[in-house]
Amino acid sequence: MLGDRTISAAGRGTLFAWRELGGMTILAGQVLRALLPPRMDAPELLRNMYRMGNRSLPIIALTAFFVGGIMVIQAGVLVKQLNAAGLVGWGAGYAIFREVGPMLIALMFSGRVGSNNTAELATMTVTEQLDGLRALAIDPIPYLVVPRVVAMTVCLLCLTVLGNLIALYGGAFFAMVLLDLEFSTLYYSLVDNIHWLDFVHGAVKAAVFGASIAMTSCYFGISVRGGAVGVGKAVNAAVVAAAISIVMLDFLLTAVLP
Amino acid sequence: MRDVDVSFDGSPVLRSLSLSLERGGRLGILGPAAGGKSVLLKLLVGLVAPDDGAVHILGTDISRGKEKTLMRVRRDVGMLFQNYALFDFMTVGENVAFPLARLGETEEGEIAERVSLRLRAVGLAGSETKMPSELSGGMKKRVGIARATIARPALLLYDEPTAGLDPVTTSKMYELIAADQAETGCTVLAVSSDVGALCGFSTELALMHEGRIRYRGPSEAIGDSNDALVRQFVSGKDEGPL
Repeated sequence: MLGDRTISAAGRGTLFAWRELGGMTILAGQVLRALLPPRMDAPELLRNMYRMGNRSLPIIALTAFFVGGIMVIQAGVLVKQLNAAGLVGWGAGYAIFREVGPMLIALMFSGRVGSNNTAELATMTVTEQLDGLRALAIDPIPYLVVPRVVAMTVCLLCLTVLGNLIALYGGAFFAMVLLDLEFSTLYYSLVDNIHWLDFVHGAVKAAVFGASIAMTSCYFGISVRGGAVGVGKAVNAAVVAAAISIVMLDFLLTAVLP
Repeated sequence: MRDVDVSFDGSPVLRSLSLSLERGGRLGILGPAAGGKSVLLKLLVGLVAPDDGAVHILGTDISRGKEKTLMRVRRDVGMLFQNYALFDFMTVGENVAFPLARLGETEEGEIAERVSLRLRAVGLAGSETKMPSELSGGMKKRVGIARATIARPALLLYDEPTAGLDPVTTSKMYELIAADQAETGCTVLAVSSDVGALCGFSTELALMHEGRIRYRGPSEAIGDSNDALVRQFVSGKDEGPL
């Protein structure tokens, strides 16, 4: 019967979700245990920060520049209707710092770095490299997972701060070109109205999103089963889980943070 | 190990398996594919936990051991994996050096020298800067052997040490393993489906089938076993219980 099947599918889905959530919670506990006091491989941390942070910079900068432009174009209609040019800088800055910057950059980061991380760890798992580490008396959590979690959290925070600034420059550029606004108008609109908490709000979000992307991508990477098909499924699951967690955490943090 | 049971998703892989190995011994384990040989090796290094029974490695019970106990025991165990398990983000030299580097007890210069010697011994001199992805399957296997043996562990576990190697390299590898053992006095447990090569190398053989030991005795006597399954596997004939 369709009803039975629907209930059965819903039950399976719920069990699956709780099992994965439980697995991620256990992994988060192991990561925290390894961080107190910090126990991780320093060269592995630097290697990850370079390839996750430095190499993501061009794509994040390009995206951020145009995001700033989009904000200004969207605001342009209202600015002209209400003759509120003095609010453009503040409006763009407020939205970029608190919401658009952290969220869009996190989604970009998840697509580029998170998926890559899952694929790499999943391949290492199915080719017995993680077992190889364990057999050599190396715990893969402090050696492989913790440096990645720290690197992703720090890198996304830095990329978001940098991306926010580039988005503001992008916004200013397009406002001058498309709306004929003066740079000084935009500048004073921003610095006179923006509050330091707006910046902190976005920075906290970025760090939390970074940790969330790291945990989901590492979890699905090291818990993979099967060969190449399993790796593909793990990457897919990690990207979906990261996107969902970013949106849900964004909602939660927006409600809780000042 | 004594009366060890291991199952995956309800399917038994090892059934009431008991096996002992004297220090300095050289035991070869033969058997058809999917008979539990690789799982047995993983059990001995603590990568698989037994459902039941006891596993003692070098005098330490690892069947109920905590992670710290396992880590301590693993420092004295070297393992060659069936699929090499080389770390693909490291060069060949870094892979081979890894067991020494993680112990932190050897100076960098000495590590580099020992890596060079080990790679020369397995016929891969000068390959330190290559990445594992640049190597053939047989070369990866030899790098795996170099990595497993460089720290001179007390127990060496080889999972299909010569699969994918030509006959000449196969006999060279077994000669190398035997020479290493003679030098260090380590205990060797090798799993393989290559009957001829393993008979020549091991002082004692065991044959595993469906998670049980069907034969254990001197290498030269395995062909005279009373068990028709053992005789068929060793002779490679088509007709028989297998």
